[in-house]
Amino acid sequence: MDVPVLTSNEEELKEISRATGVGLELQEMQQVKEYFQRKKRNPTDVELQALGQAWSEHCSYKTSMPILKEVLLTIEASQNMVVVEEDAGVVTFDEDHAYVIAFESHNHPSAIEPYGGAATGIGGILRDVVCMGAQPVALIDPLFFGPLDYADSLPRGVKHPKFLFSGVVAGIRDYGNRVGIPTVAGQVCFHPGYVSNCIVNVGCIGIVKKEDIIHSRVGAPGDYFVLAGGRTGRDGIHGVTFASAELHENSEHESRSAVQVGDPILKEPLIHACLEANGKKLLSGMKDLGGGGLSCAVGEMAYAAGYGAEVTLDTVPLKETGMESWEIWVSESQERMMLSVPVENVDEVKSIFDGWDVPCTVIGRVIPEKVLRITHKGKKILEMELDFLTKSPRYRRPYTVRTIHPVVPELEPPTNYNEVLLELLSSPNICSREWVIRQYDHEVRGSTVIKPLNGKIGYYTHGDAAIMRPLRSSYQGLAITADVNPRWVELDPYWGAAATVDEVCRNLVSVGAVPHSLADCLNFGNPEKPERLGDFFQVAEGLHLVASAMNISFVSGNVSFYNESHSGAIPPTPTILGVGIVRDLRCAVTADLKASGNSLYQVGTAQEEMGGSEYYQVRHVTGNQIPQTSPGVLRRRTSALLAAIEKGCVASCHDISHGGLGVCLSEMALGGNHGVSVTVDDRNLETALFSESPSRWVVEVVRGKEDEFEHVLGEDAHRIGAVTDGFLTINPVINLPLDQVRAAWEDTLWRMMG
Amino acid sequence: MSPIKVCILRIEGTNCEQETFDAFLELGAHPEMIHLKELTPETLLEYQCLMIPGGFSSGDYVRAGAIFAARMKSRLFSALKKYVEHGYPVGGICNGFQVLVELGFLPRLSDHPEACLATNDSARFECRPTLLKLENHCAFTQKMDIGSIYEIPSAHAEGKFVSPYIEELMENGQAIFRYVNPQGEYAGYPWNPNGSQYSIAGVTNEQGNVFGMMPHPERAFHIYQNQEWTRHSSTAGGHGRLVFESVIEYARRL
Repeated sequence: MDVPVLTSNEEELKEISRATGVGLELQEMQQVKEYFQRKKRNPTDVELQALGQAWSEHCSYKTSMPILKEVLLTIEASQNMVVVEEDAGVVTFDEDHAYVIAFESHNHPSAIEPYGGAATGIGGILRDVVCMGAQPVALIDPLFFGPLDYADSLPRGVKHPKFLFSGVVAGIRDYGNRVGIPTVAGQVCFHPGYVSNCIVNVGCIGIVKKEDIIHSRVGAPGDYFVLAGGRTGRDGIHGVTFASAELHENSEHESRSAVQVGDPILKEPLIHACLEANGKKLLSGMKDLGGGGLSCAVGEMAYAAGYGAEVTLDTVPLKETGMESWEIWVSESQERMMLSVPVENVDEVKSIFDGWDVPCTVIGRVIPEKVLRITHKGKKILEMELDFLTKSPRYRRPYTVRTIHPVVPELEPPTNYNEVLLELLSSPNICSREWVIRQYDHEVRGSTVIKPLNGKIGYYTHGDAAIMRPLRSSYQGLAITADVNPRWVELDPYWGAAATVDEVCRNLVSVGAVPHSLADCLNFGNPEKPERLGDFFQVAEGLHLVASAMNISFVSGNVSFYNESHSGAIPPTPTILGVGIVRDLRCAVTADLKASGNSLYQVGTAQEEMGGSEYYQVRHVTGNQIPQTSPGVLRRRTSALLAAIEKGCVASCHDISHGGLGVCLSEMALGGNHGVSVTVDDRNLETALFSESPSRWVVEVVRGKEDEFEHVLGEDAHRIGAVTDGFLTINPVINLPLDQVRAAWEDTLWRMMG
Repeated sequence: MSPIKVCILRIEGTNCEQETFDAFLELGAHPEMIHLKELTPETLLEYQCLMIPGGFSSGDYVRAGAIFAARMKSRLFSALKKYVEHGYPVGGICNGFQVLVELGFLPRLSDHPEACLATNDSARFECRPTLLKLENHCAFTQKMDIGSIYEIPSAHAEGKFVSPYIEELMENGQAIFRYVNPQGEYAGYPWNPNGSQYSIAGVTNEQGNVFGMMPHPERAFHIYQNQEWTRHSSTAGGHGRLVFESVIEYARRL
């Protein structure tokens, strides 16, 4: 069916874009019109839809990429192998192996249908790792919701945070556990800014032999396109264009079909079959079908190799009859992979997939000229140059950087520090995440060496990072963590972003890992609004500040704009996934206190910079002076602390973050079921106990190794006390039995979620 | 002495086969991962041990293990029966335990299941370290000590062992592992993560050669898989390793 673009005026072009749901802007529609004027014909509906997919913000990064290229993606690190260009980043692990990282958002689908949206988020991120030829080894899922006790009236069409939270966790649980990849790290954050638009980020790490790395591009003309996995249906139509617009009160009705249906029990054998075929060197390229479906996968695979493609939709296995050509072409139905296969290997590939009962079908061939040609039922329904289709427009949209006027609240010191500490421990952003963590299988595959919950059996605390042992033949480990403090980024995007990278590095160092690579999932509001894009720009600069000082790059990531609805935008949320290398995992360190009599040290000191802190939250005041990371200091302390760990001085270690020193000590005490006796500088107790200044840790030093530790850490080591068998005691102001501390920290989520 | 051949059976959704395979391999056995489609009554007899690993076979969308069991029944039931009667060891871990119960092989051979692994009392999936006390011996425990406590983690949503014949099973000594607390006492949740009758974590058949357990010994093979390993200086193997050592020894003596 042709779309009458040639004869349309500006208003009519806008109407065509709206009515067809392709989501193209007016100037883009005009580019389409000019292109087809040269061809002397109108585009078909399939062609217009294909352009809508390829040029969507979600697929093309047309707004974000110019900024990211200029600001963020300039760091080079010798360990990097594949950075940003493909579905996942690839980084050297050892001489023969590499690890693969992918990190994405699944925000809009999860806001509409939390269970299915989150589940298919897991499905998609697994495919991104598999399509590099890697075996997935770990899943990561940072989540952001409105407050669970939100009692105001909800904006129309918006679901309650509690419903979203439980649905998302169930979706991740049921997909991740079934597919058999452990979920080992993540974050749960509650903030009123996520009421109308929850954020669901999903990450995956995989391991691959370097010789098995395969790319998302076809091999040579004549190769077959083989579509493997699930059937194509009407689920997941217009997912990317849905993700590239604001949510509104009718999103539920209009965009339900944009949410796909996941099937982990098809994914599991699909992964085996893809990896088996790749391991036997039968494939010339592999790419997952994610956003944009066949349309993006075929076009991008051919274009990346400098060739074109001829495809027929007649052989695509369908879930239902009567699907329109364009629906087949853009459907984002799950559990599908595109393989490019040299002709002589096709039969062997088919027999591998047959062995796993996974359908696979030849749907086209690679051609030498850079053209995409599609036929369906004997008709040519699409013919476009890939240079036009795949090379989307790039925008330098206007942005405004905000000016921040310092606000420091007037605040009397608390009368009862015990109460403040207990309130902090029970606050939703600090309290135990056991309710979530134990629903995920974090040990399947048997390679989780440091688990998300640390501590003595029967007791537990949050670990800073999980450690995986990806190869049974080696004791080298991969440490994994993810973090962001949106409250900071909201107050000050530049320093908030810098502090995020600081925290990620801190978490990795806590377990004894050298920070090695990063991935970013940048969740923002509508970039067509200059102040939103200004925040984005500053976040990119802040991330770069610390990452470049640590000499690690962002090797993979995703930008999710339009996390905004009629009731406002989310707080800017640059979630950062960090991977570290543990040279010998037998020397790994956990956060739980080990033995009475060991000394406790603080690495670094607290500063009066409490804007966005949990302490201000519980005292009901606001201030915007958030911590300003000093990359040089972080770097110095990081290498000293890693050296101390390597020398065997460190019995336990935990980074100081939400809630400050008081919360940090409490968490360490709970995991080991030990008390502490600590004295800090009492000239400004609130700061000493509750400031969230970055680049700090609490370290339990093995008895007798104090001098060695102090020698390695130098001026950064401050002895604050010792591990005991009794209470949690800090100065004269805090004195609490562990049971009371435990009850405050453990109960909140169980009470709210049941 | 030729290595013991172990068949690690799988279908779609089985997901603990690799670590089960690795456990046998590291102990010098000769494990093979075999899709149910490939196993015939004849090829079954090439193996000295049959293992059904954990996972969510076929999604567990019916009762856990029911679809895997039904497919085994239709293809191999009489061959399997003979295999068991000959004394070969058959083990099921987690989903594999559920399969053996659905198949009517545990707690004893019957046409219909005589027990059930019901939904956990908590009504949710639980992934947590568990402590098991060895109560009786079977083909999978010869290298362990009765009365000792072993740390082997659990991860399941349907692990509550219930049977109308529970008293009989207890009397027969068919309860192999029971959940306990660190003091060795039979305790409630969370030490018993699912609410099993008599805190049962693993059972055997009357002959002692078919064995199923909900916790995952393959995830407690190396000491570095233990929950607490950073708290101790021991570098000895994990407790789950003993389960594999035991069955290899048993199969060798057949």
